[in-house]
Amino acid sequence: MSNVTISRRTVLAGSALLLASTALPTIGWAQTPKKGGRLVVAADSEPRNLNPAIVASNGVFFISSKIVETLAEASFDGKDGLDPRLATSWEGAADGLSVTFKLREGVKWHDGKPFTSADVAFSALQIWKPLQNLGRTVFKDLEAVDTPDELTAVFKFAKPTPFQLIRNALPALSSVVPKHIYETGKIDENPANNAPVGTGPFKFVEHKSGEYYRLEKNADYWVKNQPYLDEIIYQVLPDRTSAASALEAEEIQLAAFSAVPLADLDRISKVPGLKVVTKGYEGLTYQLVVEINHRRRELADLKVRQAIVHAIDKDFVVKTVFLGYAATATGPVPKNDPQFYTADVPTYAFDVAKANALLDEAGYNKGDDGKRFSLKLLPAPYFNETKQFGDYLRQALAAIGIDAQLVNNDSAAHIKAVYTDHAFDLAVGPPVFRGDPAISTTILVQSGIPDGVPFSNQGGYKNDELDALIAKASETLDPAARTELYREFQRQVATDLPLINVAEWSFISVIKDTVANVANNPRWAVSNWADTWLET
Amino acid sequence: MSPLRRFLLAPEAIAGAIILVALFAMALTASLFFPGDPQAIAGPALLPPFQDWSLPLGTDRLGRDVLAELFHGARTSLVVGLAAAAAALAVGAIVGTLAGFAGGLVDEVLMRITDAFQTVPSFLLALAFVSVVGPSLGVVVTAIALGAWTGPARVARAEVLSIRERDFVAGARVIGMHPLEIAFREVLPNALPAVLALSSVIVAAAILTEAALSFLGLGDPNRVTWGGMIAEGRAVLRTAPFLSIIPGVALVLTVLGVYLAGEGVVETTAVRRSLS
Repeated sequence: MSNVTISRRTVLAGSALLLASTALPTIGWAQTPKKGGRLVVAADSEPRNLNPAIVASNGVFFISSKIVETLAEASFDGKDGLDPRLATSWEGAADGLSVTFKLREGVKWHDGKPFTSADVAFSALQIWKPLQNLGRTVFKDLEAVDTPDELTAVFKFAKPTPFQLIRNALPALSSVVPKHIYETGKIDENPANNAPVGTGPFKFVEHKSGEYYRLEKNADYWVKNQPYLDEIIYQVLPDRTSAASALEAEEIQLAAFSAVPLADLDRISKVPGLKVVTKGYEGLTYQLVVEINHRRRELADLKVRQAIVHAIDKDFVVKTVFLGYAATATGPVPKNDPQFYTADVPTYAFDVAKANALLDEAGYNKGDDGKRFSLKLLPAPYFNETKQFGDYLRQALAAIGIDAQLVNNDSAAHIKAVYTDHAFDLAVGPPVFRGDPAISTTILVQSGIPDGVPFSNQGGYKNDELDALIAKASETLDPAARTELYREFQRQVATDLPLINVAEWSFISVIKDTVANVANNPRWAVSNWADTWLET
Repeated sequence: MSPLRRFLLAPEAIAGAIILVALFAMALTASLFFPGDPQAIAGPALLPPFQDWSLPLGTDRLGRDVLAELFHGARTSLVVGLAAAAAALAVGAIVGTLAGFAGGLVDEVLMRITDAFQTVPSFLLALAFVSVVGPSLGVVVTAIALGAWTGPARVARAEVLSIRERDFVAGARVIGMHPLEIAFREVLPNALPAVLALSSVIVAAAILTEAALSFLGLGDPNRVTWGGMIAEGRAVLRTAPFLSIIPGVALVLTVLGVYLAGEGVVETTAVRRSLS
């Protein structure tokens, strides 16, 4: 298994993982961290709910991961890609019906109460399983959490649940919140959702709407001498163009999540004192996907879908839309995933002539105006890049005689149009790959999902063979066999094209070079920053 | 002095007219010079202006020809500006004439509706309308007209109130013409010049509103619009400022041209009316 992992890592564009694993120890002993200082960070949104146990999304983690910790964090070189946090070890039973977590000793909540297994049991059963956007799927068979002592939590599942899935889900899905604060009253109305209390290296101090969030050092943190920083300020800068100027004016020291537009990176990388960092997002890969409504007669025809893939110049998309800060995709698992990715899938070269031939073959001949048929194309509004790719796709489709009419919506209207009303033919979406296909990837092609579930298969696609494969993988306990099933899953998706994976991308940080210990894990922007420090 | 000569003697009016003629020429020849889709990818992305003479104004982030987009954008701006203004003037003139001529309850009701529309900022109204109905050219035109018809309605009513007391109106009544016929065949034509004087302001405002809607992503995404071009260019403002500046300058010139030419026309006709 470990051999496979290493060979996959080298595949990664830019070999970010290798670079990181060799560079970090050097930084570690070359410089001694300085204590103190205030880190000012650009925040582009103000999440309404800051509780990461309920809303497992990057916008929430960006702030709350410093306050509320998970059982384990992603790691470049830890075993199974994990670093222990609130749990010190985890072990799955052979029958897949239980997972045992040993918890860290001497951890205290920010209000001074001790952290125990009761908090873990409460978070898992009362929040992750019933309330959390991602936990609903992963923990659906969680029946009980036994707490034989204060530092042991045993998760009991009603049906065999792959330990590999639970392990992969830990960094994003296992935020532990204090039972003593959440056990009274309604969980989703608890004031701690806006002023979180956790065990993390920083305490929540205040939020001034439209201005800033302020976090303060937790002097009682369970790692000796950490955190190094005294304070983290999230300066609210909703306008993407203002982050770059704020960095140059030295008002902020860090702009994560590509707050600086890609087109500005080349210029800003030449500004003295600023560095452009592409590492630290390996565990947060976004996929650029063309969602297809299979209810449309034309799109239900595999030849038409193949023609559309052949019409898309993936290299052009990576080079022009993403300015090189992305990789072309081959299937539903991104290339930089060390466990599941396989390159052994059907690929489709950019070939307009072939695409035209396929459409002719399918019987959709060009009319007198050069058009075969019209489609409604809905690009998701969340990123500049999804909108731009929508513009590109319209042109690419025009080249093969498909007249695509763009429909622009705001976020809420887009989600309603695509995932509830199914009022689209093609849509451009940015689903996230979260380290395991069962967390948020298989749902994109699986049938039988109720209307209205965002980022799921709402295109009316139904393939019994693929459904059976997904069901089998979800109950296969052996990691090797499970991985092989997901490789077969990638092959089937790339063959039958329920959706089209075009590219995969991550984010870029622009950081002042006085900030040390950055990008040292695959989810750095949403990790706890306990070891980050400032040179003076 | 003939009105035309008077018009030609005013330098601002001439400047405005020249800009307008150029704009119409751009809009009319767009398909001639740049056949096909102006949003087609024509060259390398982010080519600066004056580098490659087949793409004189350079290309945008996807490699689309900025000059072609500018020409086709002129078309959208003019279509929206003129159509919205025509709709606003027509609705305004009809409502104003009915209110002014009928008087009484009809007047009260129509003018209170006008007040209601006038108290809502017209841009907000357009914004709300487009985001509910969904952006397309017709919707944008309707949305802009929705906020612009109140001015013409008030002016038309004021004119009609004075005209309806004149002798020829009384004469028409005596010979038994239907009141609606009197309102629209006798009164409205006489009230119209004052209403039309508003047209330049309304066209200019409509072009700006359309640009603002497109800038906010609420324009018709299948058409090139100057506002949309500025919005696209904003992401690369520091590295490729020309992408925002070129359509911005075009927008300023257009609004200026419409306004100056409109003022010129109003002034010359106003002098003529006072002379007669």
